[in-house]
Amino acid sequence: MFEVLKPGLETCIQDYPGRVGAFGMGFPPSGPLDHWSFRLANILVGNSPGQPALECQFIGPSLCFKKSNIIAICGSDMQPTLDGKNVPLWESIQVHSGQVLELKSAIRGARSYIAFSGGGIDVPEFLGSCSTFVLGQCGGFEGRPIKKGDIISSDKNESNSRSGLRIMENCRPIIAKNRQWKINVCAGPNDDWIDEYSYKTFLSSDWKVSPKSNRVGFRLEGPEWTFSDKATNKAPENGSDPSNTIDHGYPIGAVNLCGQTPIVLLNDTLTLGGFINPFTVPSSEFWKFGQSQPSDIYNFNLVSVEEAQAEAKFISQLCKEDSMEFTK
Amino acid sequence: MKFDTPNFSPCGDHFAMVQFGDDASIDLNFMALGLTAILKEGVIDGVLDTNPSYNSVVVEYDFDRITYLDLVKELQKLVEGIGSVDKLILDSRVVYIPALYLDSETRWCIKDYSEKIKQREYDPKFVAHINSLTDEKQLVRVHSGTEHWVVAVCSTPGLPLMRALDPRCFLTSPKYNPPRTWTTLGAIGVGGLSTSIYTTPGPGGYNLIGRIPIPLWDPKQKHAIFKDKVVLLNAADRVKFMPIDLEEFEYIEKRIEDGSYEFNITAYQKFSVGAYKRWAVSVGSKARF
Repeated sequence: MFEVLKPGLETCIQDYPGRVGAFGMGFPPSGPLDHWSFRLANILVGNSPGQPALECQFIGPSLCFKKSNIIAICGSDMQPTLDGKNVPLWESIQVHSGQVLELKSAIRGARSYIAFSGGGIDVPEFLGSCSTFVLGQCGGFEGRPIKKGDIISSDKNESNSRSGLRIMENCRPIIAKNRQWKINVCAGPNDDWIDEYSYKTFLSSDWKVSPKSNRVGFRLEGPEWTFSDKATNKAPENGSDPSNTIDHGYPIGAVNLCGQTPIVLLNDTLTLGGFINPFTVPSSEFWKFGQSQPSDIYNFNLVSVEEAQAEAKFISQLCKEDSMEFTK
Repeated sequence: MKFDTPNFSPCGDHFAMVQFGDDASIDLNFMALGLTAILKEGVIDGVLDTNPSYNSVVVEYDFDRITYLDLVKELQKLVEGIGSVDKLILDSRVVYIPALYLDSETRWCIKDYSEKIKQREYDPKFVAHINSLTDEKQLVRVHSGTEHWVVAVCSTPGLPLMRALDPRCFLTSPKYNPPRTWTTLGAIGVGGLSTSIYTTPGPGGYNLIGRIPIPLWDPKQKHAIFKDKVVLLNAADRVKFMPIDLEEFEYIEKRIEDGSYEFNITAYQKFSVGAYKRWAVSVGSKARF
């Protein structure tokens, strides 16, 4: 159990994989953007990888513990301290009642995850998940980011977790120092609405992350798009812009083209709309959005669906106990 | 146009899209909802979710349990099993929704847009006019004279996209350009061939013709109807708008507030696509209410 002294910037409770099965009711899945770091934080404290934990974004919170607990912080470096003393990332840490954990601004990456032993944060499920959906005002803690004075329960179950465990370096995501990211992407569903030139341009250009990027979607700035006959010569009910189509379901990861602006739809997306999705970013790459900042550069790399699935399985394999070592 | 066989495309590593045709003819939605209904019974192991729309369904799957290619094969079999769209019989509730047409709040939204963004006619007048109706009173009669088919529940939580079923009540209208920056909660909008209801206040592009006093979703799950399911409507429901006056609107709002409102839903009917289409042809689209 802990009390929120400072909330940070929209710090929210998330679980993994979030609300599954609710797209048809208009709910996106939510859940952590960097689900790799998120899962590693959970296994460090002896939880299963998907248990509810905190997602801190750009500026972390300050928390005062009301009970002893084992915690772990993974992902972005927000210079965490416990009672003013630096504490490491990627390690399980013992905290005691009355101690204060303080996270500051991210010095690399953008999102940091704090996991708590004993099954993680204890909040009621909404549509089968504890993930916060801020726009929908549901899930998590009262359907909103945490705020000053909240007292949040986090130790429902007995736990035999211990401090002094660490995620081995080769099992962690590596946050790009040069702020340039290679991002795998699969073609489709609407890759035949753009022309060959645009297809190649998308895969060979630098795409800059716009400041108007968040958990709903990441807007990218880059070259002009050009279209195929399918986009320019279509039934009028599709809409007037080449990028318009009859409303269709939006999968998360879709590179959604609104006019000339591509928006990668993420965990809190609208579930349907009338713009085409020429490419889709697979789940193995989502952590990169979670850890990128405005003005970072993306280069997209075409992979097959099978390659994308193999990569996701590889990351899931790393989110297991074998990835931990003792610090001493 | 309906495709001879549906088009399948992957969307990343754990979604696939099935598309039945490339226009917005309602047959394509019937197929999408027919397939969705079968998938919801859990007939394909590994399918996690379905997101149907006008002419397509996005299927989320667990690639640890089924490969993309096997998923496509299984979906193909299901679509073949449906056969002709006219044979489809779907579970379809009728949901009666009270509606205050031509209300003051949506009138305010339109006026505000007119003053701040772009001059425009009062939406109900505009929609009546371009559909060759006498006036906004006839628009209300026409709009409330039909069941509205719920094509999809989507975009934001609980938001229905609907199509009029009675050809005598078909309306068409261009959407706002540029869109509104603000729409009041519960506004009834029409745009293209569709009707929608704003379940969250915010931007929008549909022409506003009225407002409803009841919630279509409730994250707090206060009322008993939202206990099991947080949204009121399902795809393949039929919505019937019941015109009410301001006094009744306020009365219903109070009953929603104190939890005593009785939602009016009938759930004993099935919807036969074949029977519907035969009937629609018989009434024709020339007559108006």
